[in-house]
Amino acid sequence: MEVLREKVEEEEEAEREEAAERAEWARTEKMMRPVEVRKEETTLTQEMLRDLEKKLSEIRIPVSVEVPAFTKDTIDISMLPVSYKTNTPKEEQLLQLADNFSRQYSHLCPDRVPLFLHPLNECEVPKFVSTTLRPTLMPYPELYNWDSCAQFVSDFLTMVPLPDPLKPPLHLYSSSTVLKYQKGNCFDFSTLLCSMLIGSGYDAYCVNGYGSQDLCHMDLTREVCPLTVKPKETIKREEKVLPKKYTIRPPRDLCSRFEQEQEMKRQQEIRAREEKRLKEEEERLMEAEKANPDALHGLRVHSWVLVLSGKREVPENFFIDPFTARSYSTQDEHFLGIESLWNHKNYWINMQDCWNCCKDLIFDLGDPVRWEYMLLGTDKPELFLTEDDSGINNEDDVENLDKEDEDKSFDMPHSWVEQIEISPEAFETRCPNGKKVIQYKRAKLEKWAPYLNHNGLVSRLTTYEDLECTNILEIKEWYRNREDMLELRHINKTTALKTDYFKPGHPRALRVHSYKSMQPEMDRVIEFYETARVDGLIKREETPRTMTEYYRGRSDFLSYRHVDFGPRVKKLTLSSAESNPRPVVKITERFFRNPAKPAEEDVAERVFLVAEERIQLRYHCREDHITASKREFLRRSEVDSEGNKIIVTPDMCITFEVEPMEHTKKLLYQYETLMHLKKEEKLSRRQVWESELEVLEILKLLKEEEEVHTLTISIYDTKRNEKSKEYREAMERMMHEEHLRQVETQLDYLAPFLVQLPPGEKLTRWQAVRLKDECLSDFKQRLINKANLIQARFEKETQELQKKQQWYQENQVTLTPEDEDLYLSYCSQAMFRIRILEQRLNRHKELAPLKYLALEEKLHKDPRLGELLKMFT
Amino acid sequence: MNRLYTSLEPRVIDDGMLKLAVGEQRPQEEAGKLAKQEGILFKDVLSLQLDFRNILRIDNLWQFENLKKLQLNNNIIEKIEGLENLTHLVWLDLSFNNIETIEGLDTLVNLEDLSLFNNCISNIDSLDALIKLQVLSLGNNQIDNMMNIIYLRRFRCLRTLSLSGNPISEVEDYKMFICAYLPDLVYLDFRRIDDHTASVSLSVSQQAPRFLGKGKEVAEAKHHYSIEELKHRENLMQAQMEEEQARREELEKHKTAFVEHLNGSFLFDSMYAEDSEGNKLSSLPGVSELLEAYRDKFVIICVNIFEYGLKHQEKRKTELDTFSECVHEAIQENQEQGKRKIAKFEEKHLMSLSAIREEVEMPNIEKMILECSTDISELFDALMTLEMQLVEQLEETINMFERNIVHLVGLFIKNVQSLMAQCRDLENHHHEKLLEISISTLEKAVKGNLDKDLSEDVRALFVDKNTIVNAVGASHDIHLLKIDNREDELVTRINSWCTRLVDKIRRDEIMRNRKRVKEISLYIDHMKSELDNLEYSDILD
Repeated sequence: MEVLREKVEEEEEAEREEAAERAEWARTEKMMRPVEVRKEETTLTQEMLRDLEKKLSEIRIPVSVEVPAFTKDTIDISMLPVSYKTNTPKEEQLLQLADNFSRQYSHLCPDRVPLFLHPLNECEVPKFVSTTLRPTLMPYPELYNWDSCAQFVSDFLTMVPLPDPLKPPLHLYSSSTVLKYQKGNCFDFSTLLCSMLIGSGYDAYCVNGYGSQDLCHMDLTREVCPLTVKPKETIKREEKVLPKKYTIRPPRDLCSRFEQEQEMKRQQEIRAREEKRLKEEEERLMEAEKANPDALHGLRVHSWVLVLSGKREVPENFFIDPFTARSYSTQDEHFLGIESLWNHKNYWINMQDCWNCCKDLIFDLGDPVRWEYMLLGTDKPELFLTEDDSGINNEDDVENLDKEDEDKSFDMPHSWVEQIEISPEAFETRCPNGKKVIQYKRAKLEKWAPYLNHNGLVSRLTTYEDLECTNILEIKEWYRNREDMLELRHINKTTALKTDYFKPGHPRALRVHSYKSMQPEMDRVIEFYETARVDGLIKREETPRTMTEYYRGRSDFLSYRHVDFGPRVKKLTLSSAESNPRPVVKITERFFRNPAKPAEEDVAERVFLVAEERIQLRYHCREDHITASKREFLRRSEVDSEGNKIIVTPDMCITFEVEPMEHTKKLLYQYETLMHLKKEEKLSRRQVWESELEVLEILKLLKEEEEVHTLTISIYDTKRNEKSKEYREAMERMMHEEHLRQVETQLDYLAPFLVQLPPGEKLTRWQAVRLKDECLSDFKQRLINKANLIQARFEKETQELQKKQQWYQENQVTLTPEDEDLYLSYCSQAMFRIRILEQRLNRHKELAPLKYLALEEKLHKDPRLGELLKMFT
Repeated sequence: MNRLYTSLEPRVIDDGMLKLAVGEQRPQEEAGKLAKQEGILFKDVLSLQLDFRNILRIDNLWQFENLKKLQLNNNIIEKIEGLENLTHLVWLDLSFNNIETIEGLDTLVNLEDLSLFNNCISNIDSLDALIKLQVLSLGNNQIDNMMNIIYLRRFRCLRTLSLSGNPISEVEDYKMFICAYLPDLVYLDFRRIDDHTASVSLSVSQQAPRFLGKGKEVAEAKHHYSIEELKHRENLMQAQMEEEQARREELEKHKTAFVEHLNGSFLFDSMYAEDSEGNKLSSLPGVSELLEAYRDKFVIICVNIFEYGLKHQEKRKTELDTFSECVHEAIQENQEQGKRKIAKFEEKHLMSLSAIREEVEMPNIEKMILECSTDISELFDALMTLEMQLVEQLEETINMFERNIVHLVGLFIKNVQSLMAQCRDLENHHHEKLLEISISTLEKAVKGNLDKDLSEDVRALFVDKNTIVNAVGASHDIHLLKIDNREDELVTRINSWCTRLVDKIRRDEIMRNRKRVKEISLYIDHMKSELDNLEYSDILD
């Protein structure tokens, strides 16, 4: 640490000196940093300055994108709970302790920067950093492991640089606020990530330290995109089989060794030259890629997360950069030093020297020589037994001081931060506005939330040829939730080859489709999930003139079919690929070995030379043989010179048999075989035709899918799934109606009459009777009123109709056809209304007595009146 | 039996009848014409129908080696005979004949379907060889004993059985009985056994004790017990057979190690088995203890030999395995090379052949044909070189193997001999001791104070010194002879095994070589002739 300290001091001094000069041309050139200044520590002359200025102006600085400010003004603090705005006594005590600790520390180590102990929160209240951590286990199973957690934090928040890159921030906001605004600096990032990691059981710590420029600026342009890195092919170690005792000696090598050596030499020379050239090239490239040296190297403050081994089966300590969610080993050269680290229980200061970045640090937090802790008594991780008593007793006074002051049983107060909550919507959207772009070295990665794009696109990786990212090499697009199960589309710009990868479940069982154009009969390769197909097709390759199919797992053991097409015969009428298939010239079919048949009867390959009218058969080779039987059938002449139909002649079949057999020489056998083959040929041609049709259909289907690109919605996704939403709403409506009906049934008939009586008194019999009578008479009145109402309406309608009719008869002559129509329609409507009213009236007349009786019955049964009435009757 | 003899005379199957039948049953239309032109050999016939021909005697069928299906129904056959050669027969129909006993089917191991419907059979037997039997039709016969059903239990594949029209089918619980005893049966009397019946009979047979005393169930219960008993007996037999098999295998293993019967006192016992004097002498006082100690030591040595033998057997086996594995690999590799060469050649050859066909200029054709023939001879050379190379390599390897195995065997023999020598030492030692005791006993006998409890024939030995020495000597000789014999047997057997093994390997290699050379030359000949034909036809054109 000492050395670093000195270095820091030197640099700070230099910084101060330059500050004056900087102010001059800072107006003209914003964000310019004195690159060379560090080397020239002598005072600068005017000339040199000018020189420098010129040099600097040549350096291109990437214009930083306008970063959205994340200051206190934008935060609404009115809604925050009390714990945010005040400190509890315990917290006050802790702050005092911390102040005391800080004082002693600065007294003992005057050359080190002040500690980052209690920054202000969003309500301008000082809060101790450990209490800002709020260990939380997220309800999402995806966030249980550190890598997905880190990925989430890095996706979810937008990075805001530190106000002063050389100092820790003055404010440290609560994670809940940070999550709400989806913005934060590195401290906010690591606090949130650390809370989540501790919550899910990791031994994680927030680190306040120094990082490289790339790290602090979340600059990945010099990093290779992890997605483009091809997984290293595990080099299969050729198991050197020990030569067995009786392994035969290889035949004697009769080549000249001298010649071989000469040849080797020549080869080596060529290789060396090649290598040299490559090396040079590489160096040149490296040169180009190498970053400008950073003036503030080692001074930039950064915060990240340290995960110690031990818990959650973490095998060794590692760092997580919360900006990029990448894990680094503790030896990584991006991390230049550690000031302090803390978790939710304690705070440790690094007492080790960081001259060699973090490479020599030992993360044994129980060792008080290396790590100075603030609170005693909280669980001390892994204390080395070797240096216990003696080591501690001979300790320098720092520790003793601490011990005296601290209340030994003081433990960290509970976090003041509200529980960290992420809503499912926010969790799914992830990135702010659901979109994020990351620029890597020669690659650009774009991410979208699912369902944000209509075609289901969730991420796109563009790979470039050059560092400036102008020439696109290839594009990879990942899709999700597509109905056609498209998962990944790979477009190679140099060859214009497109490759689509499908998940299982495509209606045509497609797996991979690589093509250059969607036109039929062009170069394309379609792979299938063969278990989903009845015919066991694995792959179909097409070129303009051929088609090759590969099969597996068929009952006829077919493994391969290759078709050569001839040029299409021109037809004037219809010339689509469907109605006019290309003529088949040759069909080659290969078969796997059928273990049920002897090898000399099991066909391995058969070739139908359709144009030449020949059929060639090649049989499987027997296990102890090197030659296989062959048979060739010519079926050129069906008719002999005399016009007789020739069935089969001996010269129509050329046979080679490994072991000549008796029965195969017979014409009968040959004839039967030939007949069988003819049938097979027809079948094969038909299958070829079907295959062609299938390709056409697939292409059509793909085109349709591309246009429609519907997305599937899980039935558990209640928000998006319209159907389930409707269903749910219907259910709710039904529930509501049901509820209403229930309320209705409970309607109290007697309520309006009971109100008139003095409340709380028991009814007398007389009262009960009167109540009943009143109720009944009221109801009767209601029924009568209703009947009257209907009657009145009925009469009114009738009158109106009569009036209209009258009017019509009077003016019948003068009426226009439209008016007449109008009148007629009115008439029919009025008639309809009258009829309905009539019906209602009738029904009412029928039902009224019944209703009356029903009410009477009900009243009889009413518990309030029942007994009294019973007595009465 | 139940048919009247018609006016037609009984006939014997003869050549004429067979020719006629084959001719009638040949394929139709064009194929038939072809068949007529060429004639059909009896051994190519797969199915033959000889029904309604009044055949009395089956004969002359030996030529139909490959016959799969034979129909001899509706004749007057009285005896099943003359079918011994038709081992490929799968389907045999002998229904509606006058057969009285089942016989002459012992060689038809592939038979799956046998019909003996409407005959005069009274007993099911002589079917043991038909392990693949699936369908058995025995309706309308004279079978009257239920025990015949139990005989059918041995046919594991039997699924269809017909027995209707037999006296047995009149029995009340005939169906139940069959279902219970033949649980794998699917069709009985051309009807599917419904699961209900099966389950009833099964459940009855399993749970019958619960329903005791209920008329019909009693019978089933009886079945249950008898079935259980039967099963038990069968299981016992099976277990016994397995045990026997295991024991035999064990012995076989020991025999291949040439140390059988050495893992116990077998040799010792055999030494005393024919040794009457020794047995007599063992009753002498002190001898039994001596004998016991001797026996123990002897057995220990025998067991040593036995274990050593097994160990060496293991060694020889691994040696042989490695050797055959290596040879196999070498041959495979060589074959692969050959195949590759041929494939390459064929590709080229096909191209040039089609080129020749296309070509019109005569001189060009000749040139190309010449090229082709040189190609062929080149291929021949290449293949033969490959083969010769392999032969040399294998020769070397075989020699090495022979050396090693002979060495191993020699070592084994040496060690066994030294162990046997220990046996002999023991025997000598024992002999001396025995002699001592005998002489002291003789002295006692001379003095007259021989133990009273010695039997007469033992006493008879102690007449004079010669007798007793001779007796002891004879016993000793017998013992030594036994040991020598055992040793000789072991040595000869292992030596002969070794020679035979090496001979076989060499012979196999020679056979392989011959076969390969033949194959190559056949192939080359074919190629050449094909080229010649081409030439010929081209010239004709």
